[in-house]
Amino acid sequence: MLTTTRRKFLAAASAAASSGLLSLSPHAPRFLFEAAAAGAEMPGDKILVVVQMSGGNDGLNTVIPYKDEVYRRRRPSLAIGDDRVLKVEGDIGLHPSLTGMATLLENRQLAIVQGVGYPNPNRSHFESMDIWHTAHTQPQDRAAGWLGRAFDARRAMLAQSTDPPAMHLGAEDQPLALAARDVPSPSIRSLDQFKLETGGSDRQREAIVAAAQAPRGGAGDLLKFVQTRATSALEVSRRIESSAKDYKTPVTYPGTDLAQKLKQVAQLIDAGLATRVYYVAIDGFDTHSDQRDAHSGLLAQLGGSLAAFAEDLQAHMHADRVLTLVFSEFGRRVEENASRGTDHGAAAPLFLVGNRVKAGLIGKHPRLDDLQDGDVKFHTDFRSVYAAVLEQWLGWPAAPILGEGFTPAGVLQT
Amino acid sequence: MSLTLADLRPADAWQPYEPSAQQPFTRRLAAHLYRRAGMAANSPELDAAVRLGPEAAVKQLLSPGEVAKQFDQEMHGFAQVTLAANNPELLSGWWLHRMRHTPAPLVEKMTFFWHGHFATSAAKVREPELMLQQNELFRRHSLSDFGGLVRGIARDPAMLLYLDSATNRKVHPNENFAREVMELFCLGLGHYTERDIQELARCFTGWEIQHGTFKFNQFQHDYGSKTVLAKSGKFDGDEGLAVILDQPAAAEFICGKLLRFFVADDEVFTPEWISPLATKFRESNLSVAPVLEMIFTSRLFYSEVAIGRKIRSPIELGVGVLRALDGTTNMVQLANRLRELGQMPLYPPNVKGWDGGRAWINSSTLLGRANLMRSLAESSETRFGGQSLDQLLDKQGIQSAEAAVDHLVELLVAVPLSAEVRAQLVATLDQRGASRPQRLRQTLHVLGSLPEFQLA
Repeated sequence: MLTTTRRKFLAAASAAASSGLLSLSPHAPRFLFEAAAAGAEMPGDKILVVVQMSGGNDGLNTVIPYKDEVYRRRRPSLAIGDDRVLKVEGDIGLHPSLTGMATLLENRQLAIVQGVGYPNPNRSHFESMDIWHTAHTQPQDRAAGWLGRAFDARRAMLAQSTDPPAMHLGAEDQPLALAARDVPSPSIRSLDQFKLETGGSDRQREAIVAAAQAPRGGAGDLLKFVQTRATSALEVSRRIESSAKDYKTPVTYPGTDLAQKLKQVAQLIDAGLATRVYYVAIDGFDTHSDQRDAHSGLLAQLGGSLAAFAEDLQAHMHADRVLTLVFSEFGRRVEENASRGTDHGAAAPLFLVGNRVKAGLIGKHPRLDDLQDGDVKFHTDFRSVYAAVLEQWLGWPAAPILGEGFTPAGVLQT
Repeated sequence: MSLTLADLRPADAWQPYEPSAQQPFTRRLAAHLYRRAGMAANSPELDAAVRLGPEAAVKQLLSPGEVAKQFDQEMHGFAQVTLAANNPELLSGWWLHRMRHTPAPLVEKMTFFWHGHFATSAAKVREPELMLQQNELFRRHSLSDFGGLVRGIARDPAMLLYLDSATNRKVHPNENFAREVMELFCLGLGHYTERDIQELARCFTGWEIQHGTFKFNQFQHDYGSKTVLAKSGKFDGDEGLAVILDQPAAAEFICGKLLRFFVADDEVFTPEWISPLATKFRESNLSVAPVLEMIFTSRLFYSEVAIGRKIRSPIELGVGVLRALDGTTNMVQLANRLRELGQMPLYPPNVKGWDGGRAWINSSTLLGRANLMRSLAESSETRFGGQSLDQLLDKQGIQSAEAAVDHLVELLVAVPLSAEVRAQLVATLDQRGASRPQRLRQTLHVLGSLPEFQLA
């Protein structure tokens, strides 16, 4: 455990670093840089949870302009009428399955950011997801994700932490958002996967750890890469096995996949890991045909999971330090297709959940009578939302990660 | 510094490898060939390959002959029985069984390559019969003409259901399949426009899946003129595909992907590396076998740029250990374990297939790989040569701890171990207080959790 004095010293060093005092002075002692780095991250810091809706969520049937003539005309089989929407304010309502989100809204814990996108929208899942993950619209610029780059920038600090900067929970491939040049983040399917099975033999465990750690002279890059990961995997395993054993919660989470993942995130947060980012995904939003029931089920899962997670965090006194960002790679066409589904589109709403969000609707619903290639136009660049999350929540400078020109969107109470 | 592609010149590296006093064709090189062109080889297979030499060994991989036909019939029969359970996970187990026992390992490896390339998941398709039908399409075309494979996949019920393209009407062309043909199947990003996708989608209008069968619905086909990649005509689907396959980018795209799959994960194969292969591919009317032959007989393939320069995929790992050690186990259980490592056959993560390479490696998968090796070593359902691992080694006359470790390493590990790591394995095998069979299982477990073991 850190002593109070050391904590204060580290905090002062961090403050000096973020004020520019350290970086501007050529004479600043190196130990202060290191302290600033070490002091920036400790259990108790603010945490970001990212929920990715994979496949392209139909934003128009999520946050619904239910009185809009154009909406009803272009969506003959899919439009949801004013008798069924969960009314938010003005002419906007939530999909009837989003009762969980409606509760969050009542509790002032939900911000609905409308019309989020980026210029020249790409309608390929992989391209657009890569753009959201890397925050770069140029294809040549996709080696590391926006969060991964943030970790790389802080690798001196991270090298001193036994906890990974981020964890991805899920069986799918690790999202590119977490890909970093230097700092790996693990992906896990369930907490059990952090158990190294040895049939109870400590000797076997020791043999495996020693063999992984033994120095390798002249090892190639790929072997070095695997060895670094293997060593960190064994360490992470030891820590999680010992810390996440006896989690108790008063909240009944739904049985859905997303809810169970978020429950594990709550467990890990409560275990006091210094991990700053958790990443989960819910797939299936690519609703080209027979969208109605599938989309309704997905949104019910989303809202129910987010509501249970928020309640659990509240019960464990972590709610003030956890922000959840919910996004999809694109919205869908305004006009439904002939298979009672919708095709790939562009701008869509995103959601932020937490005690410090500016609750309610943020920004106008995009106009349906002013389309570009059949899609609604964005007015808020997703990178300005990232800028707010990085600077105003995680406390990390956004410009080195996102580039210049993205003013933090007004989505958090500051 | 280790050797990289930049140290080699394509003109030299694409020359055939000829064994010499400096670089003889050893069991280690033969093991490398079978790890890549198949799912690993056992000890007698390595000896046979060394006797044949690389050229003849590769010829044999490319033309497996009569024995493979009998095996095909037998496996087809087993698959029909498996279908009766209507559970696609059993079919995954069937495929692993097939990979483990096939006498045509390159056919099976390429079948798996195409499965990743034309990725279709049973999680969405849900009909094991359609997944099997697609699997047999991949196997039929595994080494032959790519054009036939693409035309087959354009009518394949599993694929079209997976891409939500079971209906495609002329008033609202479904762009999904057309997009993937361009982006993922044939050309790659940057070689087409959104407009080309929309036009190609019109070529496929009226192509439908009804009750699990492909049908052409003439009332929904758009018979008008289309312009795809600057070629115009009243194209139907096959004619649209012909325009695509005629693009130089098509051969380059496939050859680039084959290079990464078979040679090295981390290298960037520039056009100067790809173009000799792509030329061969085009000259043989997009037949795959000549391209594979060129890869597997090249100096490049037997150089340090290739050996140990790939991360083993989970399936290569699981099936490979079994093949190398004459092992058998419960394949449905193995399929589910592979799911945890990110690669269950018939369940690719998305339409892009498995990324492979460094993406295989993270904390949970590394622990999972170690745990998989323990379960393979310790499971009561695992047999090595019909018996236990120590009996198998006894039969091969391997006695001392050092000899046993070296034998296992030669069969299972692509890169040399340091003296210290080798000594740790010997110490595990020599430890007191356990029986030899138990110590051998523990040694296999430690070996299987080594960083070196994760390389192919």
